Order: sequence, then C-alpha cells, then structure tokens
Amino acid sequence: MEVIVGSVERMWAIALNTFREAVRNKVLAILVLFAVALMAFSLVLGQLSLHEEIRIIKDLGLAGISIFGVIIALFLGVNLLSKELDRKTVYAIIPKPLHRWEFLLGKYLGMVVTMTALVALMSLVLMAFLAVQGGRHGVTMVRAEILIWLELLLLMAVAMLFSSFSSPWLSAMMAAGLWVIGRNSAELEAFAGSPKLEDSFGGDLLGFILEVVPDFRMFYVSGANFDEAVVSVHESFVSWGYVASAGAYCLAYAAFAWRWRSSPSPRDFT
Amino acid sequence: MPRADRPQMASSVLTIENLRKEFVRGLLRKRTVAVDGISFEVEAGEVFGFLGPNGAGKTTTMKMLMGLILPTSGAVSILGAPVGDLAAKRRIGYLPENPYFYDYLTATEFLHMVGSLYGLDRSLRARRAGELLERVGLSMAKNRSMRSYSKGMLQRVGLAQALMGDPELVVLDEPMSGLDPIGRREVRELMLELRERGKTVFFSTHILADANMLCDRVGIIVKGTLRDVGQLGELLSPKVHRVDVLWTGPESLREQLRKDFAGGLDEGAAEAAEDAEAERHRSRSEGEHFVAHSQGEVDRFLAAVVAGGGAVVQVTPQRETLEELFVRDAGVKAEEQRS
Repeated sequence: MEVIVGSVERMWAIALNTFREAVRNKVLAILVLFAVALMAFSLVLGQLSLHEEIRIIKDLGLAGISIFGVIIALFLGVNLLSKELDRKTVYAIIPKPLHRWEFLLGKYLGMVVTMTALVALMSLVLMAFLAVQGGRHGVTMVRAEILIWLELLLLMAVAMLFSSFSSPWLSAMMAAGLWVIGRNSAELEAFAGSPKLEDSFGGDLLGFILEVVPDFRMFYVSGANFDEAVVSVHESFVSWGYVASAGAYCLAYAAFAWRWRSSPSPRDFT
Repeated sequence: MPRADRPQMASSVLTIENLRKEFVRGLLRKRTVAVDGISFEVEAGEVFGFLGPNGAGKTTTMKMLMGLILPTSGAVSILGAPVGDLAAKRRIGYLPENPYFYDYLTATEFLHMVGSLYGLDRSLRARRAGELLERVGLSMAKNRSMRSYSKGMLQRVGLAQALMGDPELVVLDEPMSGLDPIGRREVRELMLELRERGKTVFFSTHILADANMLCDRVGIIVKGTLRDVGQLGELLSPKVHRVDVLWTGPESLREQLRKDFAGGLDEGAAEAAEDAEAERHRSRSEGEHFVAHSQGEVDRFLAAVVAGGGAVVQVTPQRETLEELFVRDAGVKAEEQRS
C-alpha cells in the first residue's frame, strides 16, 4: 500500500508541475480565447437564424470546444514531452527517485488535469452564453461535453505516444491523421466492405488499420453512432451507459498505448 | 586543498567495471565508442574529480550512472545497488551538464516538486528549498519564473535541486560551468562543505585549477579510456623537472649570462618547458628570469650571478602540475585543453 501511495505522490508531483507549466503558456490562453470567440460569434449567427438561437449556440459552442480542444490536445500531447527531451529538462528528473513510467504517466496525468480544466472552463462559458439567450445547459449537453473531453484525452495519449519517438511536427501530423481516420471510420469501413475492395489486399489492409486506429467516431456527439442510430444533442442522445463505455474504451486504448510505449527496454534519453 | 588527514576510507559508494558505451548513428549504422571499458571506484566521503578534455566521455559516463542512457556493456553499482534502484536514487543528487529547467515555473516551485519526488513532507520541502536557494545565492529570484534566469542562475538552481534530498552521493557534471569567478568559489566552498559533512562528491570538470583545489582523488579519461586514477600526490611526479631563478643585475651581466647559459635544453626538457617558457632567459618587471634544468646548472648560474655583482631574488623548484599530468595523459598541448 505504501508503495502505491508513494508512486501516486510522485506522479502527482510531476502532474502538478506539468499543469502549472501548461496553463502559464500563453498559447493555450489564446486558443481558449478563440473558442470563446467562436461561441460569441454564435450569438450573432443566432440572430440571423429563424428562432434557432439556442440550437446555433449549442452547435457552435460544442464545435468550438471540440475543434480548439483537438488543437490544444495536439499542442499539449506533442509539445510537453518533446520539450522535456529537446531542452533536456528530463535529465534533472529521471535520476530522481521515480520510475520512468511514473514520469511519463505523471506527464500524461498533468495534461489530463490541464485539459479537464480547459474543457470545464469552455463549458462554463458555453453555459453562460446559453443562459444569456434563455437556453438551458442540461444533462444532454454535459454528456456531450464529457464525450468531447474523453476524445481529447485519447487524442493526447496518441499524440504523446508519437512524440516519445518522433519530432513534434511529425508527431502532430501523425496524431491528427489518426484522428481524421478515426473520426471517419464508418465511411472507411463501408469503403473496405464495398464490392471494389471486398476480399482484396487493400480491403484487408484497410480493415486492419481500422482495427488498430482508435475509433474517435465513438465520441462524436452529432451524427450516426455505433449502432447506426442518429444521435443529436437537440433530440435523442446517448445514455450515461454509453458515456461510461466510451470512457472505458478511452482508458483501455490509452493503457494499450502506454503498455506498447513502456514494454521495450527504456530508450536512451539522448 | 585536499584533506591530508583523510581517514582510511571504509567502503565504495560507486563501483564501475568495464563500462562501455557505443553509439550507433546514421543509416550506415556507424559505431562510435564514447566510453571504452572503464573501471574505477569512488570511496565514501571523498571528493573525486573526473577529468578529461571535451568529448572524452565524462558526460556519457555520468549519464550511464544516472540511468539516462544504457551502457553497451559493463556493470555499475551505486550505493550497493544497480543503476535505477529507487532506494539508491533517494540517496543520490545529480546536477546535469548545462542544466535547463521549466520556463514557467519558479525556482521555489521546482524545488518543491523535487522534494516531493524525494518523499519530503511540505514543511521540510519549504524549509530545505528556502535554505538551499539562500545557500546558492538565489533567494532574491526565488519567485521569478526560470525563463528569466541567466545561465549562471540556472546552474545554481541545478545545484540546489541536486541537494534537495540531502543525498549521500552528489554527482555533479561540470558544476562550475557558466559561473563567474565568485560563483565558482562559492561552488568550491559548497563542495568542501559537503565533504566536511561526510558526503561523497563525484564531479566532472575540465577546469584543472578547481580539481587541484578540491579533489582527494582524480580519474583522467581521454577518448573514452581511463588513463589514470589515484590521489593527486601519487599521480604527480615528485621529480623536480626545472628550477626557476629570479635575479637582478646590470645589463652587462645579463648579456654575459645569456651568452654563457644559452641553449643547452635537451629534446625532452624543451618539450616540457614549451608551454611554460619558450626561452630560458626572460626579462620581467620584477627582474630577470632563468630556467635551469639540472641542479649543477642552478649552482653554476647562481655562482655566476653573485660573482658578476647581481642579486638572487628567488629560486623555485618546479614539480609536475596537474595540468602537465593532464596534458601528458591527454597527449595534447595544454592550450588545446583550456576552454
């Protein structure tokens, strides 16, 4: 028990450090401001619509959290670890009494705390904009925001995985590429099963890629979901059970990524 | 000065056996041997200087000891445990070469984090961070973000973080790097204070004056190979290899002695004297300077000075210095070693 407590304390120390370092970076503040600006713009767009102000604010607000969240997730996931390696700050940390995996997990935990704070902040701003227009930020919106948050956590894990062995730009491009593939997995699945590709090497390869690539579609808050049912935050939406299953998928995939990262003998920090 | 009355050392805190590191680079998988099978021990309570020219393998060795890179072969035992052992790590403090820390953190926040990694409680962390920042002369900047720090200030934070866990073994990679003369003196004093408190200090440097003043023992590494290990007194040759004579006298005597004692350097002596004195006779503000290479020559020269009406100011026998030993081991000229 003492060992676990010690390990958690060490990871938390790294996480707190990472959180402080991240939130004091002006780039993050600018990105959040852009998201807020998009929400503010939805007020203007709402005025142009025909009695659909609330719908516009919800759609653009969630889109803002998602789009800028993805940019922030890529920035954090790629930047924070590679900066440690580039600037060699890691040289002062790794010789301290902690395991390498505790350092890496601590970094990720710090990013999770940072992203949680940012998503919560953007959600509160969205709630305020809805309140101004007389709308209600109900349970459906909370579920949608949690799904976006889970998607961002998974994307950060993927970005961090790439950044542990690749340059920041390449890592960002690869992680963004996987996100695009993951978001469009339904279309790609349909394409792999189409008569053109059926039973061909290309079809098998695409099928394999879709098995490996994280299924970001699972966190998509507007459109067809896994069971082919169309979901929308304005009408039908997923249950808490679905949110929990998406969370379990996120955790399982992140754990798999971490295991893959940690299983070979530790790399030289050169 | 190294302690002359150092007690017999009881145990080894660091044992390195046949440590080797090869780097494989490029598409052609070209192999570079950075450290080539070195073996030595660092005993408890001593200050051990790890000397070598730039690119000799000092930092690579230290990185292997700290678990930052993996050795190609060989074994390392630190405080009786293999590299990476968590219990042993709690008793080690490490300062990396040219340290860099988090831009947006303050020195106090960073030291708190390091204290947490060592398992210190909040009050002890606060007390130790305050004491250490005061000790390294950073208390005035302790709440400023480290992005505004100069290189010397970062070096001081590096020293403070290395000592945060009150370690038994302090490993310092070029601790004087980036410091001004006052800073260097403060670090020397800090290292001597650590030794007085019974800590073991293992540090690398290519500044020989620092090593000369601090080290109980030194190890000299050149091109990845350990050339010498031992106490300075053992490594430095006790043989007097030249005698410097400072004298004054009239111009006529100067000319006479330059003529009578011209040349006469054998090949080895000339090589040894090369970086100290290009010529045997030199005029200086305090008088005339003459370099003699045998006792007989000293006797004859002194007699000639007195007989010619001159006065002998100073006679200084010169033994081998650490710099000369270093140059001898490195096999290059002293000028090439200085930075």
